Amino acid sequence: MARGIRDSVAILGMGCSKFGERWHDGPEDLLVEAFRECLEDAGIGRDRIDAAWLATAIEEVSVGKSGIPLAEALRLPYIPVTRVENFCASGTESFRGAVYAVASGAADIALAAGVEKLKDTGYGGLPQRSRGALNDMVWANFSAPGSFAQLAAAYRTKHSVLPEDLKRAMAQVSVKSHANGAKNPKAHLRNEISIDKAVNAPMVADPLGLFDCCGVSDGAACAIVCRPEIARELGRENPITVKALQVSVSNGSEAGHNSWDGSHFVTARIASRRAYEEAGVRDPRAEVDMVEAHDCFSITELVTMEDLGLSREGEGWRDVLDGVYDAEGDTPCQIDGGLKCFGHPIGASGLRMLYEVYLQLEGRAGERQLDTPRLGLTHNLGGAPHRNVCSVAIVGREGG
Amino acid sequence: MSKAARETWGDPTTAAFWEAAREHRLVLQRCADCGHWQFYPRPFCLECGSSALSWKEASGRGRVYSSSETHMAPSPDIETPYVVAVVELDEGPKLMTNIVNGRCRIGDRVRVRWREREEGPPIPDFEPDPEG
Repeated sequence: MARGIRDSVAILGMGCSKFGERWHDGPEDLLVEAFRECLEDAGIGRDRIDAAWLATAIEEVSVGKSGIPLAEALRLPYIPVTRVENFCASGTESFRGAVYAVASGAADIALAAGVEKLKDTGYGGLPQRSRGALNDMVWANFSAPGSFAQLAAAYRTKHSVLPEDLKRAMAQVSVKSHANGAKNPKAHLRNEISIDKAVNAPMVADPLGLFDCCGVSDGAACAIVCRPEIARELGRENPITVKALQVSVSNGSEAGHNSWDGSHFVTARIASRRAYEEAGVRDPRAEVDMVEAHDCFSITELVTMEDLGLSREGEGWRDVLDGVYDAEGDTPCQIDGGLKCFGHPIGASGLRMLYEVYLQLEGRAGERQLDTPRLGLTHNLGGAPHRNVCSVAIVGREGG
Repeated sequence: MSKAARETWGDPTTAAFWEAAREHRLVLQRCADCGHWQFYPRPFCLECGSSALSWKEASGRGRVYSSSETHMAPSPDIETPYVVAVVELDEGPKLMTNIVNGRCRIGDRVRVRWREREEGPPIPDFEPDPEG
């Protein structure tokens, strides 16, 4: 494995807009809102930014193609600006661009931004995919919930979990995120729900009900990263650094090969093991203090806890019901509400996860502040269980 | 459908599948070097990398590997509810499909049933297999 970038890049500042139904703001407004907070937090002028990345996945209803919309909205000083897209993992791709630029020495200070304005589509889900000779063969009109629901069917069959037990564990995933989101002033959904309400909600794709599915949102988030010595010069004694940043992308094996059992994410297992190696994490359950996972659906989060090595395979559902991932549990997950309640503006989501880890490590998370977390992990997923992009980032203090 | 439209459906990798579909035959790729069966079609064998692939007719029978009844469709022109399932064919490969003409549980035997459509060749759905 490559040498990696552990502690080569510091996070100097971050910002995040309010997520939700932002009918009165355009994507540029959301970018400016996040950037203003980020720049103030970093304590620098925009003229010090050497390069920038913009994540936006569905540009038809957002800012459009290319890096120009970001350069225009933020009046960036004629620097390189690159637009990236990698399904719902786009936000972490933007961060990766900025982090790698600093790690390589090509930039001293770089900006990662992400935005999406999805409510303008006028409906709840994501835009429909195009048809074609290959899609016709493999699509079967599966909706996003419909494809992730297969994960639940395969998981409970493999591990002999009763449908009502898994349904209850899935409900607890969302009950916990709603409890957390209610404490987050920037979250899209700020209402607590009960297990019974989640279990008895209308079905979307069996066994995923209304509260097992995240919605879509409008929002933007960004990060300014730099070399650690620059962060120290600017007064950060022990800056927050990137410990690991790994991406694994499906190569067609899950979609067509006969060896994948459909009950887990091949990519998440690979990306997280690489990230632990890069970060020097030997025992993730003991060392990772908080997780922001890609909870597009409750079953995704549940299975991901196993794929990240935090729960043993087949026992994640029990850990969820035992409260391991609750705010007071051993490894709080989605302490900001997650995709489920903070919201899911695709291009911004990976950066929103990093924003929460950053605030928690800084001790600036307000009412939802955890007790001195030292190491946080983000898991940003794009695509479907059988065909996806999975990013894992680990962030902590430079001095451990 | 016009002859021109028939000739242009699919690409070099997928065209044979759709040609067979017009005759209600479910075909899969099989590797001449290692015997591996695969779906969906690719220009190479996923198991050994060989490009010596040929098209073989499948039995059209298999079992339900996983399934989910969809109540909210990704598009308003799709009638709900409908069942999206992964079917494991007797030859080995799994494919994403719709279950029609009855309910199925995981493990139940199913067989292919072709769905005609206005644009393009028929699509393979699956239905409960009375012969088990």
